[in-house]
Amino acid sequence: MAELIICTEPLAGSNCYLLGEGGRCVVIDPGDAAAPLQTLGRLGWTPELVLLTHEHCDHMAGLEPLRGRWPRLRVVASALCSANLQSVRLNMSSMMEVYLTFHGHPGVRYPPFTCRPAEETYSAEYRRDWRGHRLRFVPLPGHTPGSAVIFWDEETLFSGDYLLPDGQPILRLPGGSEADYRAVTLPYLEQLPRGLLIHPGHGPSYRLGECPGNG
Amino acid sequence: MTNLERYDKLFMDAFRLAPEKLPGLKYRGIPEWDSVGHMDLMSAMEEAYGINISTPDLLSFSSYEAGKEILAKYGVEL
Repeated sequence: MAELIICTEPLAGSNCYLLGEGGRCVVIDPGDAAAPLQTLGRLGWTPELVLLTHEHCDHMAGLEPLRGRWPRLRVVASALCSANLQSVRLNMSSMMEVYLTFHGHPGVRYPPFTCRPAEETYSAEYRRDWRGHRLRFVPLPGHTPGSAVIFWDEETLFSGDYLLPDGQPILRLPGGSEADYRAVTLPYLEQLPRGLLIHPGHGPSYRLGECPGNG
Repeated sequence: MTNLERYDKLFMDAFRLAPEKLPGLKYRGIPEWDSVGHMDLMSAMEEAYGINISTPDLLSFSSYEAGKEILAKYGVEL
Protein backbone atom coordinates (compact mmCIF):
# COMPACT_ATOMS: atom_id res chain seq x y z
CA MET A 1 0.00 0.00 0.00
CA ALA A 2 1.55 3.27 -1.09
CA GLU A 3 1.53 6.21 1.31
CA LEU A 4 -0.15 9.29 -0.14
CA ILE A 5 0.91 12.83 0.67
CA ILE A 6 -0.69 15.93 -0.83
CA CYS A 7 1.20 19.20 -1.36
CA THR A 8 -1.03 22.09 -2.40
CA GLU A 9 0.59 24.84 -4.44
CA PRO A 10 -0.12 28.13 -2.64
CA LEU A 11 -1.02 30.44 -5.55
CA ALA A 12 -3.39 28.46 -7.75
CA GLY A 13 -4.27 25.86 -5.13
CA SER A 14 -3.16 22.99 -7.36
CA ASN A 15 -2.68 19.61 -5.74
CA CYS A 16 0.57 17.68 -6.14
CA TYR A 17 0.32 14.05 -5.02
CA LEU A 18 3.26 12.01 -3.76
CA LEU A 19 2.77 8.25 -3.58
CA GLY A 20 5.61 6.56 -1.73
CA GLU A 21 6.54 2.98 -1.02
CA GLY A 22 9.83 1.50 0.16
CA GLY A 23 11.64 4.81 -0.10
CA ARG A 24 10.64 5.30 -3.75
CA CYS A 25 7.79 7.38 -5.02
CA VAL A 26 5.64 8.65 -7.85
CA VAL A 27 4.89 12.36 -8.16
CA ILE A 28 1.67 13.46 -9.81
CA ASP A 29 1.36 17.05 -11.05
CA PRO A 30 4.26 18.89 -9.40
CA GLY A 31 2.70 22.36 -9.55
CA ASP A 32 5.61 23.96 -7.80
CA ALA A 33 9.01 22.87 -6.63
CA ALA A 34 9.27 24.00 -3.04
CA ALA A 35 6.81 21.77 -1.22
CA PRO A 36 7.53 18.54 -3.11
CA LEU A 37 11.31 18.99 -2.81
CA GLN A 38 11.04 19.75 0.88
CA THR A 39 8.68 16.84 1.54
CA LEU A 40 10.70 14.35 -0.48
CA GLY A 41 13.85 15.44 1.32
CA ARG A 42 12.23 15.13 4.74
CA LEU A 43 10.88 11.66 4.00
CA GLY A 44 13.97 10.47 2.19
CA TRP A 45 11.91 9.37 -0.79
CA THR A 46 13.44 9.10 -4.26
CA PRO A 47 10.98 9.90 -7.05
CA GLU A 48 11.09 7.53 -9.99
CA LEU A 49 8.14 8.73 -12.03
CA VAL A 50 6.34 12.01 -12.58
CA LEU A 51 2.84 11.65 -13.99
CA LEU A 52 1.11 14.66 -15.52
CA THR A 53 -2.64 15.08 -15.88
CA HIS A 54 -2.19 18.01 -18.26
CA GLU A 55 0.14 20.69 -19.50
CA HIS A 56 -0.89 23.75 -17.49
CA CYS A 57 1.92 25.39 -15.58
CA ASP A 58 0.18 25.20 -12.20
CA HIS A 59 0.44 21.42 -12.54
CA MET A 60 4.03 21.14 -13.71
CA ALA A 61 6.07 24.18 -12.62
CA GLY A 62 8.08 21.90 -10.33
CA LEU A 63 8.97 19.47 -13.08
CA GLU A 64 12.34 20.83 -14.18
CA PRO A 65 13.59 21.38 -10.60
CA LEU A 66 12.70 17.75 -9.84
CA ARG A 67 14.51 16.62 -12.96
CA GLY A 68 17.48 18.70 -11.90
CA ARG A 69 17.59 16.99 -8.49
CA TRP A 70 16.85 13.48 -9.80
CA PRO A 71 18.12 13.24 -13.40
CA ARG A 72 16.94 9.63 -13.87
CA LEU A 73 13.32 10.60 -13.27
CA ARG A 74 10.91 9.52 -16.01
CA VAL A 75 7.99 11.73 -16.92
CA VAL A 76 4.81 10.12 -18.25
CA ALA A 77 2.28 12.28 -20.08
CA SER A 78 0.03 12.19 -23.09
CA ALA A 79 1.80 13.02 -26.33
CA LEU A 80 -0.12 16.28 -26.65
CA CYS A 81 0.62 17.22 -23.06
CA SER A 82 4.29 16.53 -23.68
CA ALA A 83 4.28 18.73 -26.77
CA ASN A 84 2.39 21.53 -25.08
CA LEU A 85 4.74 21.65 -22.10
CA GLN A 86 7.04 23.36 -24.56
CA SER A 87 4.64 26.23 -25.38
CA VAL A 88 4.28 29.20 -23.03
CA ARG A 89 0.87 29.82 -24.60
CA LEU A 90 -0.51 26.33 -24.22
CA ASN A 91 1.07 25.69 -20.84
CA MET A 92 -0.53 29.00 -19.78
CA SER A 93 2.60 30.34 -18.12
CA SER A 94 2.45 33.43 -20.38
CA MET A 95 -0.91 34.31 -18.80
CA MET A 96 -0.20 33.21 -15.25
CA GLU A 97 0.44 36.71 -13.87
CA VAL A 98 -2.93 37.77 -15.28
CA TYR A 99 -4.59 34.69 -13.80
CA LEU A 100 -3.02 35.35 -10.41
CA THR A 101 -4.12 38.99 -10.49
CA PHE A 102 -7.69 37.90 -11.21
CA HIS A 103 -7.49 35.42 -8.35
CA GLY A 104 -6.26 37.71 -5.60
CA HIS A 105 -2.50 37.63 -6.09
CA PRO A 106 -1.64 40.88 -7.90
CA GLY A 107 2.00 41.71 -8.38
CA VAL A 108 3.31 38.15 -8.15
CA ARG A 109 6.13 37.54 -10.61
CA TYR A 110 5.59 34.40 -12.67
CA PRO A 111 7.88 34.47 -15.70
CA PRO A 112 6.76 32.32 -18.64
CA PHE A 113 8.63 29.03 -18.95
CA THR A 114 8.64 25.75 -20.81
CA CYS A 115 9.57 22.20 -19.86
CA ARG A 116 11.35 19.49 -21.78
CA PRO A 117 9.12 16.80 -23.26
CA ALA A 118 8.11 13.69 -21.35
CA GLU A 119 10.24 10.56 -21.59
CA GLU A 120 7.19 8.33 -21.95
CA THR A 121 4.13 9.37 -23.93
CA TYR A 122 0.87 7.87 -25.12
CA SER A 123 -1.88 8.81 -27.54
CA ALA A 124 -4.52 6.27 -26.52
CA GLU A 125 -5.35 4.49 -23.30
CA TYR A 126 -2.05 3.38 -21.80
CA ARG A 127 -1.10 1.00 -19.02
CA ARG A 128 2.13 0.49 -17.13
CA ASP A 129 3.15 -0.79 -13.72
CA TRP A 130 5.10 0.82 -10.96
CA ARG A 131 6.41 -1.51 -8.25
CA GLY A 132 3.42 -3.80 -8.56
CA HIS A 133 0.85 -1.03 -8.82
CA ARG A 134 -1.25 -0.83 -11.96
CA LEU A 135 -1.42 2.58 -13.58
CA ARG A 136 -3.86 3.37 -16.37
CA PHE A 137 -3.88 6.59 -18.30
CA VAL A 138 -6.88 7.77 -20.32
CA PRO A 139 -6.49 10.79 -22.62
CA LEU A 140 -9.51 13.05 -22.23
CA PRO A 141 -9.36 16.32 -24.19
CA GLY A 142 -11.42 19.40 -23.45
CA HIS A 143 -9.80 21.27 -20.61
CA THR A 144 -6.60 21.09 -22.64
CA PRO A 145 -5.65 19.03 -25.70
CA GLY A 146 -3.27 16.93 -23.58
CA SER A 147 -5.50 16.27 -20.58
CA ALA A 148 -5.75 12.78 -19.14
CA VAL A 149 -6.96 11.02 -16.04
CA ILE A 150 -4.84 8.47 -14.21
CA PHE A 151 -6.11 5.36 -12.45
CA TRP A 152 -4.07 3.89 -9.61
CA ASP A 153 -4.81 0.20 -9.06
CA GLU A 154 -8.29 0.84 -10.46
CA GLU A 155 -9.32 2.07 -7.00
CA THR A 156 -8.33 5.69 -7.21
CA LEU A 157 -8.52 8.29 -9.95
CA PHE A 158 -6.28 11.31 -10.29
CA SER A 159 -8.60 13.51 -12.29
CA GLY A 160 -6.55 16.64 -12.96
CA ASP A 161 -8.85 19.55 -13.74
CA TYR A 162 -11.87 17.30 -14.35
CA LEU A 163 -14.26 16.21 -11.61
CA LEU A 164 -13.31 19.18 -9.48
CA PRO A 165 -15.31 19.13 -6.26
CA ASP A 166 -16.56 22.67 -6.61
CA GLY A 167 -17.57 23.02 -10.20
CA GLN A 168 -17.38 22.37 -13.89
CA PRO A 169 -14.11 22.15 -15.83
CA ILE A 170 -12.84 25.20 -17.65
CA LEU A 171 -12.97 24.62 -21.39
CA ARG A 172 -12.25 28.11 -22.76
CA LEU A 173 -8.54 28.52 -22.10
CA PRO A 174 -6.11 28.27 -25.04
CA GLY A 175 -6.37 24.80 -26.55
CA GLY A 176 -9.56 24.02 -24.67
CA SER A 177 -12.48 22.53 -26.53
CA GLU A 178 -16.06 22.22 -25.41
CA ALA A 179 -16.76 20.06 -28.46
CA ASP A 180 -14.06 17.55 -27.50
CA TYR A 181 -15.24 17.58 -23.91
CA ARG A 182 -18.82 16.82 -24.88
CA ALA A 183 -17.92 14.23 -27.50
CA VAL A 184 -15.21 12.30 -25.67
CA THR A 185 -14.64 13.28 -22.09
CA LEU A 186 -18.03 13.87 -20.56
CA PRO A 187 -19.42 10.48 -21.69
CA TYR A 188 -16.35 8.80 -20.22
CA LEU A 189 -16.57 10.61 -16.90
CA GLU A 190 -20.28 9.94 -16.63
CA GLN A 191 -19.79 6.17 -16.72
CA LEU A 192 -17.26 6.07 -13.90
CA PRO A 193 -18.47 3.99 -10.96
CA ARG A 194 -19.96 5.67 -7.93
CA GLY A 195 -17.70 5.34 -4.94
CA LEU A 196 -14.49 5.72 -6.96
CA LEU A 197 -11.99 7.72 -4.91
CA ILE A 198 -11.22 10.97 -6.74
CA HIS A 199 -8.06 12.97 -6.16
CA PRO A 200 -8.71 16.18 -8.13
CA GLY A 201 -6.24 18.76 -9.33
CA HIS A 202 -7.78 21.35 -7.03
CA GLY A 203 -9.75 20.91 -3.83
CA PRO A 204 -10.26 18.01 -1.47
CA SER A 205 -10.49 14.35 -2.37
CA TYR A 206 -13.89 12.70 -2.36
CA ARG A 207 -15.74 9.61 -3.50
CA LEU A 208 -17.73 9.90 -6.70
CA GLY A 209 -21.38 10.35 -5.87
CA GLU A 210 -20.67 11.76 -2.45
CA CYS A 211 -19.64 15.29 -3.40
CA PRO A 212 -22.26 18.06 -3.47
CA GLY A 213 -20.54 19.90 -6.32
CA ASN A 214 -19.87 16.92 -8.52
CA GLY A 215 -22.42 14.29 -8.22
CA MET B 1 -6.31 39.98 -44.06
CA THR B 2 -5.49 43.38 -42.59
CA ASN B 3 -4.45 43.84 -38.97
CA LEU B 4 -7.86 45.33 -38.19
CA GLU B 5 -9.70 42.43 -39.82
CA ARG B 6 -7.55 40.01 -37.83
CA TYR B 7 -8.21 42.00 -34.63
CA ASP B 8 -11.95 41.88 -35.17
CA LYS B 9 -11.86 38.19 -35.99
CA LEU B 10 -10.08 37.41 -32.73
CA PHE B 11 -12.91 39.04 -30.79
CA MET B 12 -15.59 37.41 -32.92
CA ASP B 13 -14.03 33.96 -32.59
CA ALA B 14 -13.34 34.28 -28.87
CA PHE B 15 -16.77 35.56 -27.93
CA ARG B 16 -18.93 34.41 -30.87
CA LEU B 17 -19.96 37.95 -31.69
CA ALA B 18 -21.19 39.65 -34.85
CA PRO B 19 -18.95 42.49 -36.06
CA GLU B 20 -21.51 45.17 -35.24
CA LYS B 21 -21.24 44.20 -31.55
CA LEU B 22 -17.53 45.03 -31.31
CA PRO B 23 -17.48 48.88 -30.98
CA GLY B 24 -17.92 49.78 -27.32
CA LEU B 25 -17.34 46.21 -26.14
CA LYS B 26 -15.86 46.16 -22.65
CA TYR B 27 -14.35 43.59 -20.31
CA ARG B 28 -17.20 41.99 -18.35
CA GLY B 29 -19.67 43.74 -20.68
CA ILE B 30 -20.77 40.31 -21.90
CA PRO B 31 -20.67 37.01 -20.02
CA GLU B 32 -18.09 35.54 -22.39
CA TRP B 33 -15.53 38.29 -21.71
CA ASP B 34 -14.81 37.23 -18.16
CA SER B 35 -11.42 36.46 -16.66
CA VAL B 36 -11.15 33.14 -18.53
CA GLY B 37 -12.29 34.71 -21.78
CA HIS B 38 -9.79 37.52 -21.26
CA MET B 39 -6.86 35.14 -20.93
CA ASP B 40 -7.94 33.25 -24.03
CA LEU B 41 -8.33 36.49 -26.02
CA MET B 42 -5.00 37.90 -24.86
CA SER B 43 -3.21 34.68 -25.66
CA ALA B 44 -4.73 34.67 -29.13
CA MET B 45 -3.69 38.32 -29.63
CA GLU B 46 -0.09 37.51 -28.78
CA GLU B 47 -0.03 34.55 -31.10
CA ALA B 48 -1.77 36.32 -33.98
CA TYR B 49 0.58 39.30 -34.01
CA GLY B 50 3.72 37.56 -32.76
CA ILE B 51 4.13 39.85 -29.76
CA ASN B 52 4.53 39.50 -26.01
CA ILE B 53 2.25 41.92 -24.20
CA SER B 54 3.37 42.97 -20.73
CA THR B 55 1.24 42.00 -17.76
CA PRO B 56 0.20 45.62 -17.01
CA ASP B 57 -0.93 46.01 -20.62
CA LEU B 58 -2.74 42.67 -20.55
CA LEU B 59 -4.62 43.92 -17.51
CA SER B 60 -5.33 47.31 -19.13
CA PHE B 61 -6.80 45.71 -22.23
CA SER B 62 -10.27 46.50 -20.95
CA SER B 63 -12.22 47.29 -24.10
CA TYR B 64 -12.25 46.83 -27.85
CA GLU B 65 -11.01 50.43 -28.24
CA ALA B 66 -8.38 50.27 -25.46
CA GLY B 67 -6.92 47.19 -27.10
CA LYS B 68 -6.19 49.10 -30.28
CA GLU B 69 -4.12 51.65 -28.37
CA ILE B 70 -2.24 48.92 -26.53
CA LEU B 71 -1.43 47.01 -29.69
CA ALA B 72 -0.10 50.22 -31.24
CA LYS B 73 2.55 50.27 -28.48
CA TYR B 74 3.77 46.94 -29.85
CA GLY B 75 3.93 48.17 -33.42
CA VAL B 76 0.60 46.74 -34.50
CA GLU B 77 -1.22 49.48 -36.38
CA LEU B 78 -4.93 48.87 -36.84
